[in-house]
Amino acid sequence: MKIVVCVKEVPDMESKFKLVDNKVDESQIAFKMNDFDQYAVEAALQLKEKHGGEVIIVSSGPERSQKQVRQAFAMGADWGIQVTDPAVDSGDTFVIASALYNAIKSVGDVDLVLTGVQAEDDQSGVTCPMIADFMGVPHCTNVVKLEAAGDKELAINRELEGGLNEQLGISLPCVLSVQSGINQPRYPTLPGIMKAKKKRLDVKKAADLGLTAVGTEGSKTSFIKRFFPVSEHKAEIIEGDPKSAAKKLVDKLKNEAKVI
Amino acid sequence: MARILIIAEQRNGKLSEATLELCKAAKAVAEGLGATPAAAVFYKDDSIAKEVAKYIPEVFSVVDAKLENYSADGFAQAAKAVVESQDVKGVLIAHTYDGIDLAAKVAMVLGAGIVSNCNKVAATGGQLVFTRNTYNGKIQEERTIKTDKFVATFEKGAFDKEAAGGAGAVTAVSASIGDIRTKFKGFVETQAGSVDISQAKIIVAGGRGTKEKDKYNDVIVNLAKKLGGEYAASRPVVDAGWTDAARQVGQSGKTVTPLLYLAAGISGSIQHVAGMKGSQCIVAVNKDPEAPIFNIATYGIVGDLFEVIPGIMEALG
Ligand SMILES: Cc1cc2nc3c(=O)[nH]c(=O)nc-3n(C[C@H](O)[C@H](O)[C@H](O)COP(=O)(O)OP(=O)(O)OC[C@H]3O[C@@H](n4cnc5c(N)ncnc54)[C@H](O)[C@@H]3O)c2cc1C
Ligand SMILES: Nc1ncnc2c1ncn2[C@@H]1O[C@H](COP(=O)(O)O)[C@@H](O)[C@H]1O
Repeated sequence: MKIVVCVKEVPDMESKFKLVDNKVDESQIAFKMNDFDQYAVEAALQLKEKHGGEVIIVSSGPERSQKQVRQAFAMGADWGIQVTDPAVDSGDTFVIASALYNAIKSVGDVDLVLTGVQAEDDQSGVTCPMIADFMGVPHCTNVVKLEAAGDKELAINRELEGGLNEQLGISLPCVLSVQSGINQPRYPTLPGIMKAKKKRLDVKKAADLGLTAVGTEGSKTSFIKRFFPVSEHKAEIIEGDPKSAAKKLVDKLKNEAKVI
Repeated sequence: MARILIIAEQRNGKLSEATLELCKAAKAVAEGLGATPAAAVFYKDDSIAKEVAKYIPEVFSVVDAKLENYSADGFAQAAKAVVESQDVKGVLIAHTYDGIDLAAKVAMVLGAGIVSNCNKVAATGGQLVFTRNTYNGKIQEERTIKTDKFVATFEKGAFDKEAAGGAGAVTAVSASIGDIRTKFKGFVETQAGSVDISQAKIIVAGGRGTKEKDKYNDVIVNLAKKLGGEYAASRPVVDAGWTDAARQVGQSGKTVTPLLYLAAGISGSIQHVAGMKGSQCIVAVNKDPEAPIFNIATYGIVGDLFEVIPGIMEALG
């Protein structure tokens, strides 16, 4: 099975966020692989281990983000394509999905594409259906169970509200978005990390992939601004060192809120 | 007049609450643009279309045996048929499981721009400005749409539920629903467990900030026992196997409404909050003063949970 996994670099959400000119100040931020994408990489590796084939990583992002692709290599992925082009990254989700699609197309004869359910930074959840539509193949989002059912079909579970799952059959090729909890992503081993350094990573620009409409020109939506939310409600913050704050809290729960 | 069209959502023949919120959203957007609100209902018969017509003046009903259960292929084809025959300017979809599966597909089929996961929309000078949650709720983003038609998804709770009112008109729209490439096999319940936390009066919930299984047990489980309540968790804790799926709170877990919900090491993502915002008193313990959980908490302590929780244990005596 030839499997492509889309891997995105995102900020660690516990970083201190500052906005400069409507952009997140990246100098203050630690980056990592999008959590959901780790589950997608693991799902691909498990399919390969069972049924043979190849796992290819496709990513779009600045040069720095090659680190996350190498991380997927260290887990066991075979090779990858990195789209590094500011004109792509300044586009909206439609532009990014087109770039990922063109990279996937250049791989040829792909049976399965996996993405995460959403990017932790933009929280769009649109990339999987978009790539599937570009490819002209079916898709399914929020997949929590995935196994081969014969040569050209997968048996999958789609997560629904409140612990309900929908069981589906889907034929290959297809695009699935993988939800957390589907597996336990492996940690790279030391030999894995050593091998990852030598694995093939093709770096491409939009033009190399035959992509012409990028950036704001290719986008179907426009960015206006970013801002920190102002909540109408803020918690009553209980000050003091941990011990005295805890004591005040217990007092309030007993005598003010009267809930314990 | 152009239409703002919602796509109704049902499961096992029951209309979702998110659909009633969308009715409200459609009215607001339509008013801002000088358009009219309408709904599209895709089902095996027109029973749900009639139900939706209590909430919105105009309903377009596509009836086909293939539409009994949601599928992206079936619903996208039906949506295209309605949009192209009924002068539709914008399509509003709930940011729920089915909505996420469908919305980007509909946008692609229509060649329309999409803004997903919105919590607000404002019309200024005939243009819609959408506000959406990003960075796990820490940063908000505003976007507009460049294409002639648009698709937007709204998170649960962005609008109030529309109340049932008059009797809207139901119009049948014919669509030939072709191949559905996902084969529906059934539903399964995956979180049935020995415990039902939804009945608890006191819940102590731990998140990723509790670090590891032993520490989760040490602080969260013990405090819950001391308070005579139940312990619960955010999704990452369940994913990592530190506790049972039956104890997960949120969109994909349980909905709880205890007197006291104490959240420690939980950031307060929209999906978690969906399951606990109805609690009477919410306490947040988090080392990050900017964590979104403080926006919905009654009381907050900014600090290390491994110092604060033992402090609470001690104060309880
Ligand atoms: C479709 C979908 C459905 C989902 N359903 C659910 C659901 O049902 N329930 C759910 O919970 N999530 C759900 N999620 C996941 C959700 O988006 C978040 O990823 C998740 O809620 C985050 O959990 P968390 O707050 O424990 O972890 P994080 O967001 O990583 O937050 C950890 C927090 O701990 C704090 N912290 C760290 N160390 C300490 C310390 N020593 N002391 C104090 N504080 C500390 C940090 O400051 C941080 O705020 C869903 C996601 C999707 C896409
Ligand atoms: N720039 C990118 N590079 C690689 N994969 C991406 C990129 N953006 C999105 N994806 C993939 O699409 C998924 C969903 O992202 P989104 O639709 O942006 O929420 C992510 O989990 C990734 O798998």
